[in-house]
This record gives sequence, C-alpha cells and structure tokens, in this order.
Amino acid sequence: MLSSLRKHAPVTLSLLAGAALWEIAGRNSDPAFLVPLSETLVRLYQLVGTHEFLVQFLDSATLFVTGVSLGILVGMPLGLLFARVRIIRVAVDPYIMTLYATPMVALIPFILSMMGFGFTPKVLVVFLFSVFPVLYNTVEGARSIKPELIEVARSYRSSERALWREVMVPYTLPYTMTGVRQAIARGLVGMVAAEFFLSATGLGQLIMNASQNFDTSGVFAMILLIGVIGVALMRFGLYIEQRFARWRI
Amino acid sequence: MADITTPLTRAPGRLDGLVSTDAQARIVCGLGILLLWELVVRAFAPAYVAKPTTVVMAIPKVIVDPAFLGATGNTLLACAQGLAISIVLGTVIGLAMGRSILVDRSLRHYINGFNAVPMIIVLPLVSLWFGYTSGARLATIVFAAIFSIIINTADGARSVPREYLEVARSFRSRRLRMLIDIVMPSSLPYFLAGLRLAAGRALIGAVVAEFFTAIGGVGYYILYNSRVFKHNEAFVGVLLLAAFGVGFEVLVGWSTLRFLPWYRRDEKAD
Repeated sequence: MLSSLRKHAPVTLSLLAGAALWEIAGRNSDPAFLVPLSETLVRLYQLVGTHEFLVQFLDSATLFVTGVSLGILVGMPLGLLFARVRIIRVAVDPYIMTLYATPMVALIPFILSMMGFGFTPKVLVVFLFSVFPVLYNTVEGARSIKPELIEVARSYRSSERALWREVMVPYTLPYTMTGVRQAIARGLVGMVAAEFFLSATGLGQLIMNASQNFDTSGVFAMILLIGVIGVALMRFGLYIEQRFARWRI
Repeated sequence: MADITTPLTRAPGRLDGLVSTDAQARIVCGLGILLLWELVVRAFAPAYVAKPTTVVMAIPKVIVDPAFLGATGNTLLACAQGLAISIVLGTVIGLAMGRSILVDRSLRHYINGFNAVPMIIVLPLVSLWFGYTSGARLATIVFAAIFSIIINTADGARSVPREYLEVARSFRSRRLRMLIDIVMPSSLPYFLAGLRLAAGRALIGAVVAEFFTAIGGVGYYILYNSRVFKHNEAFVGVLLLAAFGVGFEVLVGWSTLRFLPWYRRDEKAD
C-alpha cells in the first residue's frame, strides 16, 4: 500500500502540477498566446459535441485507416517475397533503406501538383508514410531467419507453401509488427500532413481554421485531442507489437 | 561480399573479379528502378513531371543557383541551431531523468506523451506564437528533435553498470565527478543513437515548417518550384534532403564505430 503510494504519488503529483501550471500560466498571459487548461477543456467539449466535428473526425479516420491498411497489405507480402529470394533481397535492400530514411513529406508538393486535391492523393501520402517501415522491418526479420530452419524444412521435402506457412510467416511476423507500430505512428503524421498541405479536410482543417481565426483555445483543444489520439494509437501499436513479440526466438 | 563458399556452378560474368555478385545485383536493380521510372513517366505523365534524365540535367544548373544555395544554408543553419538547443537541454533533462527516480517519475509521462504526438501538429500553434518567421521553424525543429534525445540519454544514464558507481562511491568520488566521468561516457552511445533519430526528425521539422509558413529554405524551394511546375529543380532539393539524412546516419554510425568501438547495441527505431 505504502510502496504503491510512493510509486504513484510522484506521477499523480506531477500531472496535477502540470495541469495547475498550465492553468496559472494561461490565466496570466495574453489569451492570444496561451489559454488556461479549463478553457481548453470547455472548448474541446464544445467542439466534440458538434455535428461538423463528427463528420471531420470520420473523414480523418477513413483516410488514416485506408492509407495504413494499404501500407501493411502491400508492405508485408512484398517484404516476404523480397526476403525469400536472396538475390532480390540483396538487390533491393539499399533502396528500401534509403526510402525508409527519406523524409516523405518532401514528396507532398509533387503529389499535390500531379494529383490535385482529391481523396486518392491523400491516401497515397499516408500510404507512402506507412509502407516503408513495414517493408523494411519485414525484410529485416526475414533476413534473420536461421538458414537451418529452411534447410530442415527442405530436407523434409516441405512444399513452398508449407515453408511459407510454417517458417517464413511465423518467424517474420513479430518484426513486421514492429513495422506496423512505426507505420501507425508515421501514418498519423502523414494524415495530418496530407490534411495540412494537400486540401484542408478532417481534423487538420479544424485546427487550421482555428489557427486562421486566431481561436487559440480551439488550437489548443485540437492539439490536446490529436495528442491524446497519438498516445492512444502508440499504446495500441505497442500492444500489437508485444503480443507477437513472444514468438521471437 | 566475396566469400569462398560461393558455389562454383555460378556462371562467370564479365564483371567477375571486379565487382561481387551482390553488388552486381544492386547495380542492376538500381538501374532497373531508374529505367522503370523513366519509362512510366515518359509514357503516362505530363512533360513537367520529374524523371531521372531530366533531373540529372537539372543538377548542374541548380547547384550553382544562388537561390538554392541560400535556401540550403538557411535550412541547415536552422537545423544546426535547433539540434544544438535540443542537445544541451535534452542531455540535461535526460541525465536528470536517468539518475533521479523522482525526476523520472515526474517527467516521464510528459516526455513520452509529447514524443507520441505527431510533431507536425504544433505548426499552427508555433505560427500563432512566433508568426510566420524563422523562429517558428526553430521551435518546430526543437520540438521535433528534443524528445528522442531526452529518451535515449535517460535510457543510457539508467543503464550505467552498478559496479562502476559502487567502485567510484567506495573511493569517495563526488557526485559531479561520477556524473562527468562515469555516467556521461557510458551513456554516450545511447545519446548518439538518439542524436541520429533527432537529426532526421529535425530535417523533417524544418521542411514542414517551411511548407507551412513559407519561410525561405530547402522545403520552400521544393514547394515553390513544384508549384510552378519545375519538378526537376524541385526534385534536386529532395535528393539533397535524402543525402543529408543518409549522410548524417553514416557519420554517426562511423563515429560510433571509430570512437566507441567497445559499444554494441540494437538500434532503437522511432
């Protein structure tokens, strides 16, 4: 009891102190600069209640889910295929690494001027943000499959299909899930980037509107909301990753 | 990688002895990608869309263009300043978190929370605070870079082998000496891993801030040129960004091997 109190007290205190600090600082500064926590929460409550918010939220969610799902659906099989054939893996490896490290935001202006403002270019942005982590980690995972495993399967005259089902996929899946976690995090960035820089829709539009109207409490409310969504998605990603982590040998 | 186990059945190629099979495969694949890109763009896309041949032809013109050089200088300077701020503040906070349970418990939720927030979301806020100035870009860079440095430095400071500290303590070493002589060197590899992540994120932060606020830099150069349909020129900017990203990775990887050869650890991805 006492030890749990000792463990949780600093956390609770620090959260309370942070909230108090925000409140006090907000009350004593220019409202165009910083608004108190209470006002932000009230504004958030007002925003979330509106019909427009629901529409925009669903819009963002559709974009995010479509883009990230496509990233996973393309990245994983492609990664396994690359990994299965050694010569392909060696050949594509440096290029996947480079694309994984390249800041995809830099491609947004090109996508904008080639594809315009519709839904497809936005999905493309989220897809580009999320596919390379999945691809990269899947190839990394498949690279680390012990050759003995494949040799044993081969000596027992395992068919190619069985080899994939019994060795390749189970062995690589935990690595792919690390990629999925990164893809979720990056996909969220891609979603907001697409909504900021392509055409303003969804949550991105709400925050842009607030910023352009100098509605500081609206900006804070949206940042708080997207922050909470970010943390929740990160937790979800970690959960998926850890669920598969025990398969790692 | 030329190894002796390569089977003899492999058909000898013309490049044998000069370049290994792996390198051949890579080169062929790279050329294949470029060829495919060229052909697809030629066949299906409008003339202004960047393709390898026209991008290569644009390079000599762009790299002597004063507008491009100025933009590069602006972005790099901002990244260097932002990284310097992040390194100083991040190391101090990270070391404090790693060595003091109290600090760790009070700050951990904030740091992890901010780290999970997509950094791009602060753009409207920093543009409200700083206006459409380079201050907004600097703030975005710091926000993008600092948390991975804090988290990694704290991990490093936490993982100092207990025996080292015990020995130092039995020799009546002072806390500050221990911090400088033991904790800091042994968390250095973690710090470098954090710095590597931070540098990539700083670059992204600079680019998105320039997109958003239209202040001069490589990001704005790309945005402007792609808007006026000079995609080839704009793409040189993308190549430059990729080169900086990869170059910094290589630099940090090399200095870890060169100066901290005693250290090996799985890389921590974002």
